[in-house]
Amino acid sequence: MEYSDTRISDAAGVLKTRLQTLDNKADILKAVELKALYAEIPTLPPEERGAFGKEINSLRQELEALVATHQEQAEALPALDITAPFDVNVPAGQLPQLLAETQGSMHPLMRERELMCDIFYRMGFTSIESRELDDDYHMFTALNFPLGHPARDDYDTFMTEETDASGNRLVAPAHTSTMQHRVLKAHKHELEQGKPIAVLVPDRVFRNEDLDARHEHTFYQFEGMYVNKGVNAGHLMATLKTFLEAYYGKALEVKSQPFYFPFTEPSFEFSLSCPFCEKQGCSVCSQTGWIELLGCGMIHPNVLRVAGIDPAVYTGFAWGGGIDRLVMMKYGIEDVRHFESAKLDFLRQFS
Amino acid sequence: MKISINTLRYYKNHYQWSGEPAPEGAAALVEKIGAQLGAVEETERVGDKYQGVVVAAVKECRKHPDADKLNVCLIDDGGIVDGVERTAEGLVQVVCGAPNVRQGLVVAWLPPGATVPESVSKDPFVLGTRELRGIVSNGMLASPRELAIGDSHEGILEIEGDAKPGTAFDEAFNLRDDLVLDIENKMFTHRPDCFGWIGVAREIAGIQGQPFVSPNWYRSDASIPAVEAEPLMLTVRNELPELVKRFCMVAMRDVKVGPSPVWLQVELAKLGQRPINNIVDYTNYFMLLTGQPLHAYDYDKVRSLDGSDGATIVVRHPKPGEAITLLNGKDIEPRAEAIMIASESTMIGVGGVMGGSDTEVDEHTTAIIIEAANFDMYSIRRTSMAHGLFTDAVTRFNKGQSPLQNRAVIAKIVNEIRSHAGGKVASELIDDVNLPAEVLERNALHAPVQVNAAFVNERLGLQLPAVAMATLLRNVEFEVGIDGNTLVVKAPFWRTDIEIPEDVVEEVGRLYGYDRLPLVLPARDLSPTPKDATVALKTRLRHTLSRAGANEVLTYSFVHGKLLEKVGQDPAQAYKLSNALSPDLQYYRLNLTPSLLDKVHGNIKAGYGEFALFEIGKAHVKGHIGDDGLPREFEHLALVYAADPKHAARRAGAAYYQVRAYLEHMMAGFGLQDAVQFVPLDNAAAPYYESGRAATVLLNGQPFGRIGEYRAQVRKNLKLPAYCAGFELDCQLLLAATQNHRHNPYRPLSRYPKVEQDITLRVAAGTPFAGVQSLISDVLKETIAEDGYFDLIPLGVYQPEGTGDKHMSFRLSVASYDKTLRDQEVAALLEKVAAATAASFHTEQV
Repeated sequence: MEYSDTRISDAAGVLKTRLQTLDNKADILKAVELKALYAEIPTLPPEERGAFGKEINSLRQELEALVATHQEQAEALPALDITAPFDVNVPAGQLPQLLAETQGSMHPLMRERELMCDIFYRMGFTSIESRELDDDYHMFTALNFPLGHPARDDYDTFMTEETDASGNRLVAPAHTSTMQHRVLKAHKHELEQGKPIAVLVPDRVFRNEDLDARHEHTFYQFEGMYVNKGVNAGHLMATLKTFLEAYYGKALEVKSQPFYFPFTEPSFEFSLSCPFCEKQGCSVCSQTGWIELLGCGMIHPNVLRVAGIDPAVYTGFAWGGGIDRLVMMKYGIEDVRHFESAKLDFLRQFS
Repeated sequence: MKISINTLRYYKNHYQWSGEPAPEGAAALVEKIGAQLGAVEETERVGDKYQGVVVAAVKECRKHPDADKLNVCLIDDGGIVDGVERTAEGLVQVVCGAPNVRQGLVVAWLPPGATVPESVSKDPFVLGTRELRGIVSNGMLASPRELAIGDSHEGILEIEGDAKPGTAFDEAFNLRDDLVLDIENKMFTHRPDCFGWIGVAREIAGIQGQPFVSPNWYRSDASIPAVEAEPLMLTVRNELPELVKRFCMVAMRDVKVGPSPVWLQVELAKLGQRPINNIVDYTNYFMLLTGQPLHAYDYDKVRSLDGSDGATIVVRHPKPGEAITLLNGKDIEPRAEAIMIASESTMIGVGGVMGGSDTEVDEHTTAIIIEAANFDMYSIRRTSMAHGLFTDAVTRFNKGQSPLQNRAVIAKIVNEIRSHAGGKVASELIDDVNLPAEVLERNALHAPVQVNAAFVNERLGLQLPAVAMATLLRNVEFEVGIDGNTLVVKAPFWRTDIEIPEDVVEEVGRLYGYDRLPLVLPARDLSPTPKDATVALKTRLRHTLSRAGANEVLTYSFVHGKLLEKVGQDPAQAYKLSNALSPDLQYYRLNLTPSLLDKVHGNIKAGYGEFALFEIGKAHVKGHIGDDGLPREFEHLALVYAADPKHAARRAGAAYYQVRAYLEHMMAGFGLQDAVQFVPLDNAAAPYYESGRAATVLLNGQPFGRIGEYRAQVRKNLKLPAYCAGFELDCQLLLAATQNHRHNPYRPLSRYPKVEQDITLRVAAGTPFAGVQSLISDVLKETIAEDGYFDLIPLGVYQPEGTGDKHMSFRLSVASYDKTLRDQEVAALLEKVAAATAASFHTEQV
């Protein structure tokens, strides 16, 4: 940098030379020469003060930049041989080691999900993943949500500024049902070979909800689908009951209440007798003896039809429920926000 | 949706239903409604707070000698209250401060020992006998507010009609043992008819297997009496026939606005409604009864807005900038698509949501316009959400009321106002209908549904005969024809939800009782269930890493733009939420590592000195579109290792090698340890990795991910400890590699012992370890071939201080299938190795 005022360019030369020798480079910013230059400003004729002051500031900025570069260079670590399995000069007894198995942990939601998948696997259901960014078609249209349906507004569902090929905003799926159409299409040929469609989709979903101890905008659902000839609503209830009894390891009662979903007909809300108090009433079931667990129903004929499955020949059922809640109830976890907190205080309890 | 059991009972005589709402008691009814209609969220015994309250007549009323505002009354309670002092005539003395107390009134008396109903749920106030300015008062006479049936506290409640003194208040007003059920609204999303008591009563009859017939007046072709007074000019212009399928209006004059009869106030109050005046209360009441919202406008106020001789009502959208003051006092500028009710000049209401204050019915009103309209459900919902207006009308309209019931309801309320509020019909019934002709003709929204009994039974797992199904449906007023096993089902005019055979399945199943369906598992053959390879791979990774001491975390898929910037990523590459709850969740993450880095500092602060966090999740980057036309979902595995200075001091060597050990451990589990290569990372492409201390990982030569330590600036921004490194890998590539690779960890054992010898090579410091190692491995493979097997174990790298050389040490463990190897043979092998490395890398054996 060039300085027009010789008093400043002289000082710049001196200070830059000294910078090389300083241990703490930042000390250069406290140099007496710099202070002396600032002190000179009030002694100058008013019309010169502005230009002079500007140049001192430039010098100060130049020095600051040099200090920063030096610091970064000082902090930069030497290059490693990244192709080697260990660093140079590491004593034989101190080669890299994995941490102790006892402190490792799987996330409780993932562990529980695996357990659930395993039960359903034994019942004949395969598990697949869901999407985290999907389109309007799979989230709504293919699920029999009419155009203009309020669920298509962004009050409950996160949407992106970016759009799909048809100009609709992309969607952060609010339910794992966003996979239903894909599952039906992918397995349609198996139906024709006489095999049922039996698929579980346990994965992450999103809802435009404020966070508190009981509400998360990010959570996990398990979607189940079963399609074949002659499938009825009794099969649905029996399947869920069988799963829950295996999951809790005890006999349970179940009940259903009529409900409404666009993609099932009829639709139900499904409850089980509280497995923690034998229906006596406890804090988990809010003293009612029952736990409302999930929504379910017979897959709407339009959902089958749009996937190329003839609803006059095949029928099926589907359900979707929260995994987080099952895990919270099982372990007495009081705050849903722990799950996505990545706190080791929380996670290592599940070692 | 709140409903009172006593109201249902009361109306049994109006509709034709011989049954009883709760034949087995309230608890059984709640359970039955839950199973067959919808979940009951709450029950409240609304009549209990009136215990001890008695209807009484004021027989004598004179001024208190020592207090201007007080009166001393003698009341007749029919002599039924015990333990109070009575006059010779059996009357009871009560001091009352209400301005409206007078001889001849019939009132609600709270005798000594009774609790003020309004205080029951808060801080119960029990009345006694006490002196007021020297005169004994036995309890008190109650105002509507004290009786919890309204806000009014200016005077005591005046009971009109023929209530006999001495009747218990709860008995007089149908409150004894009354139970109000709150049924979850969500259950009725597709059942607008169940937002009226008649609809719920019909269902309760239906689920008990009893026939129900709607009241005579509830007919789609109802009409009103001819104009019976000087006509009021009323014109309607519906400019939105697509959104307003039906718009009914009528004008009435000579209306006397005043308080509603007490029974009506009580009916509204017990369901949480606030009585206002008779006109408003009647419109609310018939809405509660039928589900059809009604609105009353002051005719003269509407007319004077336009300064015209008659009233003109226009249904239209708002003009730009047009505003309205609502009944709740709020000023709004309605959204452009809102359905507005207006006079020629001025908006007077947000259709189906809330009326305007300009045309409100008040105590001076004598002429009114009554509206019974049908509004598009989605439009109502959007307007309601846009302006935060949640009214009983919105709750009903946004379920899509049937446009075939408007005439019935407007005719009924006209009659009620004629009978009870002095109104006279002063215009024709204006009925603007914009429905297809066939809907009006068949008096049903959808064509009759043909369905075979077998179709229904197959879907329910039942064997009901067609005639049994028909009975269930007819109980709730369906018209059902039977032809052999086929039912022809025509829904009544108020049902909007019966369109396809599956709708009939639902109806039959629900009325029959889902709780009675046989629970049988689907039959299944013995073929094995396939496993999804991606799910299986991720599960395996989870197990491997957690067993290796790492902690699995789940973090949000959305991140703050600042986090992206802190690690040098460009938010413009990330999908952006348009309705994020907060800036914390604005962008889809570009990969997982920044989320993990963000969680390091908190855990160190919480006292964890050394840990490895890992996450398996999805990442999205704009511009990457999959074969399905959707954004590609990258399946990633990320791991971050960190140690505070105290723990780092116990580790020798750079943090890079700690995470590399994790990567190698993981890959060895798949038998892919030799398929992985580390090449120096092109720093420009890696925003947060430290130059010279990070690598691109290749798997079978394909880019697999990155591994390394983090830049000083990133460490500073995220408060990372100096000893910190991590990797992020592509699970899809790993999956492909595992599927293409037959991993057989086994090699036949030799009968001969294996021999171990070490070799140390001096090389120039810049020589990459992996090059030397793989050359040695190649030489050994070629030389030993099928004759035996070997392991080459890296032992260490030593760089003497002040030199430009490194010493690389390996241990060779080798066995032959044919013989016991002699030391000289192994040494010769190592000499061959040394010669090869010398040729390629100028090494020297030490």
